Amino acid sequence: MLRKKMLRDLKENKGTYLACIVVMILGIMVFTAFSLVVDNLKISQKSFYTEQNFADGFAQVEALPFSAIGNLQNIKGIKQIEGRIVKDVQVYAPQSQENIYLRLVSMDPSKENRLNDFLLEKGTPLSNKTMNIWVDNKFFEAQNLKLNDKLEIIVNGKIRELKVVGFGKSPEFIYALRTTADLYPSPETFGIAFVPIEIMEKIFVTGVYNDLVFSLEPGVDFEDIEDTLEYKLKPYGLRSLIPRKDQVSHSLLEMEITSLETMARVMPVMFLGIAAMILYITLKRLIEQQRGQIGILKAFGYTRGEILSHYLSYPLVIALSGSFIGGILGIILAGPFTSMYRLFFNMPEAPDNFSILYLILGIVLSLTFALGAGYQGCKNILKLEPAQALRPPSPPSGRRILLERIPFFWNMLTVQGMMAVRNISRNKGRSFFIFVGIMFCFAITAFTWSMNDLIQKMLFDQYEKVEVYDLKISLSQSVDAKAVSRELSSFPGVNRAEPMAEIPVTLKNKWLEKDVVILGLPPNSHLYNILDAEGNSVELPDKGILLSERLASLLNASLGTKLNVDTPLIEDWDSTKQVEVRGIIPQYVGINAYMNINALQEFLKAGPLATSFMLTTEKERVIPLKEKYRESALVASIEAKEESFKKLQELMASYGSFIYIYALIGVIIGFAIIYSSSVITVSERSRELASMMVLGMTPAEVLSVVTFEQWFLGLGAMIAGIPMSKLMLTGIAQAIESDIFSMPVVISPTSYLLALIITAISIWLAQQAAAGKIKKLSLVEVLKERE
Amino acid sequence: METIMVAKNLTKTYQMGEVKVEALKEASFELYKGELVVVLGPSGSGKSTLLNIIGGMDQATSGELYYLNKPLHTANSKELTLYRRHDVGFVFQFYNLMPNLTAYENINLAAQIAKDPLPIKELLEKVGLANRADHFPSQLSGGEQQRIALARALAKNPQIMLCDEPTGALDFTTSIQVLKLLKDFSTSYGKTVVVITHNTAIAQIADRIFYLKDGRLVKIEHNPNPLPPEKVTW
Ligand SMILES: Nc1ncnc2c1ncn2[C@@H]1O[C@H](COP(=O)(O)OP(=O)(O)OP(=O)(O)O)[C@@H](O)[C@H]1O
Ligand SMILES: [Mg+2]
Repeated sequence: MLRKKMLRDLKENKGTYLACIVVMILGIMVFTAFSLVVDNLKISQKSFYTEQNFADGFAQVEALPFSAIGNLQNIKGIKQIEGRIVKDVQVYAPQSQENIYLRLVSMDPSKENRLNDFLLEKGTPLSNKTMNIWVDNKFFEAQNLKLNDKLEIIVNGKIRELKVVGFGKSPEFIYALRTTADLYPSPETFGIAFVPIEIMEKIFVTGVYNDLVFSLEPGVDFEDIEDTLEYKLKPYGLRSLIPRKDQVSHSLLEMEITSLETMARVMPVMFLGIAAMILYITLKRLIEQQRGQIGILKAFGYTRGEILSHYLSYPLVIALSGSFIGGILGIILAGPFTSMYRLFFNMPEAPDNFSILYLILGIVLSLTFALGAGYQGCKNILKLEPAQALRPPSPPSGRRILLERIPFFWNMLTVQGMMAVRNISRNKGRSFFIFVGIMFCFAITAFTWSMNDLIQKMLFDQYEKVEVYDLKISLSQSVDAKAVSRELSSFPGVNRAEPMAEIPVTLKNKWLEKDVVILGLPPNSHLYNILDAEGNSVELPDKGILLSERLASLLNASLGTKLNVDTPLIEDWDSTKQVEVRGIIPQYVGINAYMNINALQEFLKAGPLATSFMLTTEKERVIPLKEKYRESALVASIEAKEESFKKLQELMASYGSFIYIYALIGVIIGFAIIYSSSVITVSERSRELASMMVLGMTPAEVLSVVTFEQWFLGLGAMIAGIPMSKLMLTGIAQAIESDIFSMPVVISPTSYLLALIITAISIWLAQQAAAGKIKKLSLVEVLKERE
Repeated sequence: METIMVAKNLTKTYQMGEVKVEALKEASFELYKGELVVVLGPSGSGKSTLLNIIGGMDQATSGELYYLNKPLHTANSKELTLYRRHDVGFVFQFYNLMPNLTAYENINLAAQIAKDPLPIKELLEKVGLANRADHFPSQLSGGEQQRIALARALAKNPQIMLCDEPTGALDFTTSIQVLKLLKDFSTSYGKTVVVITHNTAIAQIADRIFYLKDGRLVKIEHNPNPLPPEKVTW
């Protein structure tokens, strides 16, 4: 019998319960989908790392004789160490517009159980006897290669032919970036190739390693062996020594997983919290409305438990249906989501994990929220005695509120306005709910828009305002800046050529130290602008160094701090040499220090050296220029900025669609909250509202009492949403800050404006939906009832 | 006497699933300016139904109804709202005051949408509650609330005042006070007042008495010498 009553009650308030279920579905869907994606990625990552024996540490050296490896293997704590030859080369592809690069990584085909072993998907084993290679599968696809195709590379100005005998994946290049400035993998222009060590020696005419990978004994930390290893590698020209956690591919994968994990936790809690609040206020209202019925049930002899469980069956039904649908949707979505991540993260697919677990977890989660909220809403039943229940609740009593003390404000209001404002304190719980809900709605939208804004700004500013050159030619060794400048400038179509020195150094402030690259730029550079937070150009000082904000904070350096500089580039370097910090500037992508190139040259006592050149050219001269220098042994790479920029724009376009999803989520939340609270308000105050209609007020005027209250609260909530969105952004900025990215915490006025518009639209839509309820109020019926 | 409202064969039927309930059957009558009409009849005889139709809160299933020659039976909800807004005042057995507006503000709520409102202060004095202007309904007794509700209806200065058992929940003295105010409104302002009651004694103050039975307007009785409200006893 009671089940019938429940179904009818649910039907009567179907709009509200539907809103609640939708919010719950969203929450559980996000929970299930993201949790599954995280699991899929983690499982793939873990099994890939284990099976391919992924290294715990990485080092780059100038030259390490093959024979020196044995000595390093003896270091206590090191389980396995392997030397490699790693070289970046250009692919000879005259028909291609862009330069294509290949990172050649040596491997020993005769060795078993290699570190960072290649997972061959298709092909034949490598042989030390022929010019054969394996390439990564993304590159293989992007270049339309077939097995046994020939790939021509340019080494020291000569073309060498390599035969592709297999393709597959490497745990070291899950997220394959040529340089960290690239931000995203681009298999069209960059790939990884594995080359037998003897072939490598032959191609490069070398007998030394320049790269090391090692694994650690269980229980040993990188820090434990760092000093020993550093000491032992120093004589071989140590360039960098990093633990796995700083390895580019690994750290970007970890960053993505962490942020997905955060989302998988925070978003569902938010959605479920909102669904719970809707349930709470709806049930509380229902109990009030059905006091009489409860009294009669009690008088009949139903126990409190029976009645309570009857009312708790409402949230039960809602939670079960919401979480079931949400869970199923989440499971369905997890597949395409994971595939999307696999586009960027090149890992073998792990078998899908047991998804029922998250379905059950989702149900438990939503039941907890729903029953908790339901119980809070219903617990008054327990207190009611039958006789008391049959009596109507004591009438609401009006009270004056604090705002009335402000005559200027109060006198501006119509009588409906006064009612509305007083109503805010009439049902504090609900007002709080509306407030919090709108605040979230506003904050989420402001936050996401400004995220979008910032990322655009961070990336586009780099291309449009900072690096204003057309071409950048990176050299494979340092050269005399003046001579090469002269040569480049005389190339037809080149308007301007400026040298740049990129010097890897270790900066130290007391015990703090950081490996970075100092960019040496010409004073008053026309092609590279250093900008302050406001976007104004910063002059390079004649002496001293500029640090990026993050670098400054990592080194705990401020203006005037003297930093010790160590560089592997120069032999017999006097590591007590110091340079003074003369400025701190924001840098969003990467982490660098900047010096006047002349000052840098003088500091290094290395003559007029340059490691790359920036050029502005006439558009049609780009290709001849590339063609001319592509095969030069001196040129490591030629980067045309327009191409990188175009690709970035494409990438950002797909990122943009995420923003709309967030905006939609904001609208749904705002709508659900306002709709459900409007419907409840209308039902609770139906008598008052009907009386106003009897007085001859139009439905619109009557609605305005409810809407005025909501707008009033909404305005306050939106103002509170401003610091809230800042907080969210700060949280995210701190979470994702790394050597690759740092994010300024600024929210643009446009973001606020957009958030305001979106929030207002969702409030307005919900009010229109609720207005129908007012039109349907039957005056005759409502007023017939006893008060 | 000037006719303000004409009703011809008003019928109201409610469809309750299979069953039809005829709450009002072919009621025809006129209402005049400045008169006080009392509607008498047993419970369920259709009194409230009739009053709601006259007041534009509800519409008849068939029949015609004219207010100052304007048809109300064909009016849409917007026109009915305007009619209620400018021409009708309602008082119910339960007062239906806004709980979070003070007495004064409750009256003002009605006054601010009227074309030609009566001054609120005067009304408060008339109902004898000038000193209670700033009180909220929960701080007033039932009788006081009913008088505020009456003042609120009067504030719009309506042509027709409709009262559904206005004294139903009141004691004797308060009832007389309310009736005096209604009588006064019809005589000194020349407005039409229709009062539903179960109390036959009250019918003595009426100019005319409508008798309803089973939805039929069975009799309309003229009372050439209405009793002043203060003389009524029960
Ligand atoms: N919404 C409705 N649906 C069905 N029947 C209704 C409805 N409203 C009223 N009725 C019926 O119409 C008839 C007249 O009702 P009405 O309320 O007009 O009586 P009344 O004379 O005002 O009675 P009372 O003195 O008890 O207030 C009754 O039989 C009632 O059952
Ligand atoms: Mg009645």
